[in-house]
Amino acid sequence: MTARTIDGGRRMAAATRIALIAVAAILVLVPFAWMASIAFTPAEQAFGSISLIPDNPTTANFEAALTQIDLLRALGNSLVVALVCVAANCLVAPLAGYAFARLKFPGSGVVLLVIVATTAIPVSVTLIPLFLMAKTFPLAGGNDLFGSGGTGLLDTLAVVTIPHLVGAMNVFLSRQYFAGMGSELAEAARLDGAGEWRIYWRVYLPLARPLIAVVAIFSFTGTWDDFLWPLVTTTSQEHYTVQLALVQFNATGNVQYGPLMAGAILITLPVLAVFLLNQRSFISGLAEGGTKG
Amino acid sequence: MVAPATAFILVFSLVPVVYGLGISFTEYNPLHRGLPEWVGLRNYADLFTQPQFGKALGVTGLFVLMVLPATVVLATALALLVDRPFRGVGAVRAALYIPNIVSLTAVSMVWLWIYSQHGLLNELLGLAGLPAQDLLHDESTALAAAAAMRVWKALGSNMVLILAGLQSIPRELYEAARVDGAGPWQRFRYVTVPGLRPILVFVVAMDIIYLAQSFAEIYVLTQGGPLGSTTTVNYLIYTSAFQYNQFGSSSAMAFVLFAFIAGFSLVSVRGILGRQR
Amino acid sequence: MAVSHHRRIAVGTAAIALTAALAACGMGGGTAEQTGSNQLTVWFPGTDPAESALVEDTLVPAFEEQTGAEVEVTYVDYADLSNKLTAAFAAGTAPDVFGHGPAAVADFVANDRLEPLQDYVDGLDQADLDDLATALPGGQVDGEQYLVPLQMQGWALAYDRSDFAAAGLDPDSPPTTWEAVRDAAAQLTVRDGDGAITRSGLLLATDPIGRQQSFATLIAGAGGELVDTADLTAAFDTPEGREALDYYVDLFNGDDAVATGLGVTYSANPTAQQPLVTDTASITLLSANAISKLAAEAPDLDLGIMQPLRFEDSDTPAAFGGAGPGLMINADSHVKDLAWQFIEYMTGADVNQEYVASFGGIPVRASAADSGYVAESPVLPAFLDAAPYFVPNPNVPGWVQARDTMDAHLEEALNQKAPTDEVLADMAAAVDDVLESSR
Repeated sequence: MTARTIDGGRRMAAATRIALIAVAAILVLVPFAWMASIAFTPAEQAFGSISLIPDNPTTANFEAALTQIDLLRALGNSLVVALVCVAANCLVAPLAGYAFARLKFPGSGVVLLVIVATTAIPVSVTLIPLFLMAKTFPLAGGNDLFGSGGTGLLDTLAVVTIPHLVGAMNVFLSRQYFAGMGSELAEAARLDGAGEWRIYWRVYLPLARPLIAVVAIFSFTGTWDDFLWPLVTTTSQEHYTVQLALVQFNATGNVQYGPLMAGAILITLPVLAVFLLNQRSFISGLAEGGTKG
Repeated sequence: MVAPATAFILVFSLVPVVYGLGISFTEYNPLHRGLPEWVGLRNYADLFTQPQFGKALGVTGLFVLMVLPATVVLATALALLVDRPFRGVGAVRAALYIPNIVSLTAVSMVWLWIYSQHGLLNELLGLAGLPAQDLLHDESTALAAAAAMRVWKALGSNMVLILAGLQSIPRELYEAARVDGAGPWQRFRYVTVPGLRPILVFVVAMDIIYLAQSFAEIYVLTQGGPLGSTTTVNYLIYTSAFQYNQFGSSSAMAFVLFAFIAGFSLVSVRGILGRQR
Repeated sequence: MAVSHHRRIAVGTAAIALTAALAACGMGGGTAEQTGSNQLTVWFPGTDPAESALVEDTLVPAFEEQTGAEVEVTYVDYADLSNKLTAAFAAGTAPDVFGHGPAAVADFVANDRLEPLQDYVDGLDQADLDDLATALPGGQVDGEQYLVPLQMQGWALAYDRSDFAAAGLDPDSPPTTWEAVRDAAAQLTVRDGDGAITRSGLLLATDPIGRQQSFATLIAGAGGELVDTADLTAAFDTPEGREALDYYVDLFNGDDAVATGLGVTYSANPTAQQPLVTDTASITLLSANAISKLAAEAPDLDLGIMQPLRFEDSDTPAAFGGAGPGLMINADSHVKDLAWQFIEYMTGADVNQEYVASFGGIPVRASAADSGYVAESPVLPAFLDAAPYFVPNPNVPGWVQARDTMDAHLEEALNQKAPTDEVLADMAAAVDDVLESSR
């Protein structure tokens, strides 16, 4: 083989690769193009319209999404819930993961295994018990110390938030991440007389930005997308999250496709922004967390 | 340091499991004002005499089998394509990841549209001179149609995980293989595949857990039909708990599902944990 | 790079701190509201924007003005209604007044969740009682009132008059028996070169809820019934049930089938996708609300409506219909008198008419027949004529599950997984099981 054909072969390979990427990206994005097309199509011609570019594009569906239902309030609710969960996860999960990775204590392996195993618990197992626990939460919503008399945490933003505060998967990924970082830094810091807390906060956590990105994205999207739990625990519209607000356009026998898709786009943008801002850290964080150890 | 997370998971994951296990031994109608009635193992025994539950387990298993291999293979291929940097690689990765972050309900509505009588699919079939299809109303294709959507939806997250796996493979291993005279296929076979094994195990385990719980797409696309061919276990649980007010027997179904999920996924999770000891 | 990282982290931290503070406020205030003496919570089923706009912006404010009460209205989609109500009852957060279809009433009554309304109803003027006489029985369980319907409902065959004319049929005298409709349908059915049906002559609903409603219409026309309400057992495994089911199955199967699209929902579709509008069917079974919508939104369609039909060996025509969704009062409500005032208000002649007009429904009062709204409608007079022949679903505990059980078996019959007599026997056994365990 001459240098020239190798070069030509490489160029061919690169061109094929780009072509394949383009095809894949188009295939993946076509349904979204459709979604956007529906969002900009006037209601009366929406269903079954096959033109990807609407004849008379309109922003009426976006206005409907923002005015017909209280989407802004729902966005606010979801943002509060998601950010509280992101903050809690980012504080607690890496801390626990670090301890599991660095500080061996009796039974730590078993505890970690149990925590990992909880990720396999189907939502259908815990939905009803969690609901009843929320109802009998002591000293909330008119309840007495023993959890009776009132409605507990039901129909509050707190109840929507609580089950997402610590994700078992985030603890596991953190443990993997810190295990992959090795113990040399800790030993050096220990020689300088630093305690475990200090070592964690000052040495390891600042190096764990990619991990934080992973934990943040997982907890943000997990909370943002949750549907069944807020559906059964909230009753008044002032506590609706985005997913609950949106399904009002998905009514039995009266699906309003235009506003539904416009609303779906609006509620996807924050998640997309979170992902784009952290994309690089996210992938490298996963590379450390998910695979090593 | 582990106390906050452990305590939380104890209270909000393990306590509900024990609580739920208790409920599964009772006949519990939430509308009823009295206390739940203890019925021992009857709910579990009933499951094995009800053909619907066995069928739903089969449908759930089939759904996982339809989605899992396809999505893992395609995601691996995509990850290999976008592994090396090029201009706009971030945008491409983000684009491929988008399906994963749009709510399943909204995404299912888009696919409902794609599959509809005058939808995208039938327009394309028409252009190719093929007869129109009604995939969601045909017993033999409805589950596959739902699975196709789920492959598309799961592709991005799997791709990102596998991409992360690719990037954690030391480049020196590839160089060493090259020096030893390994061609592209051999490098893939002897460097990439073993390097990806831990992440693939992780991806497979997580996919089993999520796919076995499929509900929203079924609810939007087929409502469990036609002829029960898309009634997954979680869909059955949902109807029996909230339409028929049978919290006891639906909890029993949930625990059987849990046993299956745990059985299939624990094997693979152990694979990762075992590796590091 | 480093600078931008730091800035991003700083902004992120600030945002998180701010949100945490906001969240603390939000959660602190987020306790369940205590229902005071003049506060009323109401859940309406459905999500029709015109209906909810009328209720929330006009009707409820007027009621608040009249009574000084504060009413919080929530619209809940039918698909989510059952699980939200179940959860709310279990939690003690259920509303004072809520709407649902009559099918759900018996289960709530069996669990002591509904306030009996008999005393309130007995307190109505005789004139009002007479006016509501056709509607009220649909909300009774064992002779006692628990639900007051807000509208009447009925199903009828709607047809395209121009298709009739083109096929040589007289659009002004449509068939009166199911056998005659079937003959007409055979003439109306259009096939392509391969023999596949491109326009159904007669299309009955075969979607999950529609299957049970179609079968209910047919068996009523054959002179049979679904459930023996006296001893709570299935009553459809009879010659009448067999006649109805054979007829239903044969529409879609065999060489001389007159319908296609088994399992596809059409009745809930928007007007533009209705088979009569897209010219994929000449006769379809639809609800009064859907036909009103067709008349209003598809002016080009030359619409005809048939009166309830019978099979030739039965004496009385009949169709599925009767009392529609209505309002109930939570047995645990602290403001039952106010709740009743609200129900009375919503069923008052003027308010009720304005309410049903927002979605093209049939008013709950018989006197509405003389009103401009009904008289001017191209659709509703036909339904008022048909009203004596409407047969509702039975109000028995376990009905929702019994209905879904029937649906699964009807689907098997339609897809010819088993012969109809076998399906009827299995279906009867399964429905008996459900009704027995709900007793």
